[in-house]
Amino acid sequence: MLSRVVLSAAATAAPSLKNAAFLGPGVLQATRTFHTGQPHLVPVPPLPEYGGKVRYGLIPEEFFQFLYPKTGPYVLGTGLILYALSKEIYVISAETFTALSVLGVMVYGIKKYGPFVADFADKLNEQKLAQLEEAKQASIQHIQNAIDTEKSQQALVQKRHYLFDVQRNNIAMALEVTYRERLYRVYKEVKNRLDYHISVQNMMRRKEQEHMINWVEKHVVQSISTQQEKETIAKCIADLKLLAKKAQAQPVM
Amino acid sequence: MNENLFASFIAPTILGLPAAVLIILLPPLLIPTSKYLINNRLITTQQWLIKLTSKQMMTMHNTKGRTWSLMLVSLIIFIATTNLLGLLPYSFTPTTQLSMNLAMAIPLWAGAVIMGFRSKIKNALAHFLPQGTPTPLIPMLVIIETISLLIQPMALAVRLTANITAGHLLMHLIGSATLAMSTINLPSTLIIFTILILLTILEIAVALIQAYVFTLLVSLYLHDNT
Repeated sequence: MLSRVVLSAAATAAPSLKNAAFLGPGVLQATRTFHTGQPHLVPVPPLPEYGGKVRYGLIPEEFFQFLYPKTGPYVLGTGLILYALSKEIYVISAETFTALSVLGVMVYGIKKYGPFVADFADKLNEQKLAQLEEAKQASIQHIQNAIDTEKSQQALVQKRHYLFDVQRNNIAMALEVTYRERLYRVYKEVKNRLDYHISVQNMMRRKEQEHMINWVEKHVVQSISTQQEKETIAKCIADLKLLAKKAQAQPVM
Repeated sequence: MNENLFASFIAPTILGLPAAVLIILLPPLLIPTSKYLINNRLITTQQWLIKLTSKQMMTMHNTKGRTWSLMLVSLIIFIATTNLLGLLPYSFTPTTQLSMNLAMAIPLWAGAVIMGFRSKIKNALAHFLPQGTPTPLIPMLVIIETISLLIQPMALAVRLTANITAGHLLMHLIGSATLAMSTINLPSTLIIFTILILLTILEIAVALIQAYVFTLLVSLYLHDNT
């Protein structure tokens, strides 16, 4: 990874040195300039999604591409290893077997549990993203609900005039009712008073009639003397006897 | 064996300058930080592991003990990575040096004890006498408890040193045994190589366990004293 940084720095700083990229990195780094220009804070350039491809976890792919035109990299590697072994530059010692066992265990572990760990890490990241996504969706849903409520409220406002009409009608009816009620009351009061006058008049007339009748009767009774009274009564009795004889004769027919 | 058995435990120097400093500074380079929420797999797994261990370790402390959480979590991560890196061939493990382990153990233990003595002196002194001891035994028991307290940092350091050093030595010895047997008798070489593989697995476990034990004990001392 660091070698790639050095390679890219060399390519940008001194294109002529591309073929001699294995010079000491210190020389090339000296040509880089730092902190010139404005610092870029926004927008931060996005990170690449995947790292550079490596073979065997150690050697970057560019190394193989770099060597392919000239020599096979595997042949080069095998040759170097055999050279080191035969010339005893690398001595096989106790450490070799330790190294073999440690590297063997490591490779076995990585091959067996590597995908599992990778999936686990991906799942963790996905959980984080899902949480944020859910928060975003919840916020959008909330705002959508608010918009819908607002729209329905506006629609209701359009229909408000029905309510006002009904209320207006109600009030008109109530006014009408009270008016008629009062009118009736007035009528009744007036009739009451007129009836009173009429009944007073009727009563006066009746009283006068009775008084007059009583006065006439009293005087008539007073005027009838005792002898006239006897005569009248005898005459009445004789008339009644005649009528009785006539009456008795009737039912025979 | 070209060199003696203890060659791997010499503190490495480059032209007389200690390279051990650089070696001790290597593990933090392998734990990247990131200011993004979604990271690559390495950072995600490391962050998840650190969160898991820190939660596990610090739940048993009160507020004052949790101020040590950064110290303890970085301690366990440092010891674990250093021990695991030491398993690589031709590498140097700083935790095999008693000097470094003492330098880690003594300040942590002393800090916990002094903190306990400063704040809650009665509780700290009460540790010297376990509950329910018969009265005639008290003076002897106080002396024994004092000695056991004073020996704690030594025990921490020596435990870590001895375990890691012994593991490395065993690996070296059995490796040289396979080397010697490879010229004599091939099947027994394979047997011994199997033993070596088993030992490697043990070493990996020991590396992690020792880190855990160290940190656990320090946190225990802390819990006693907060």
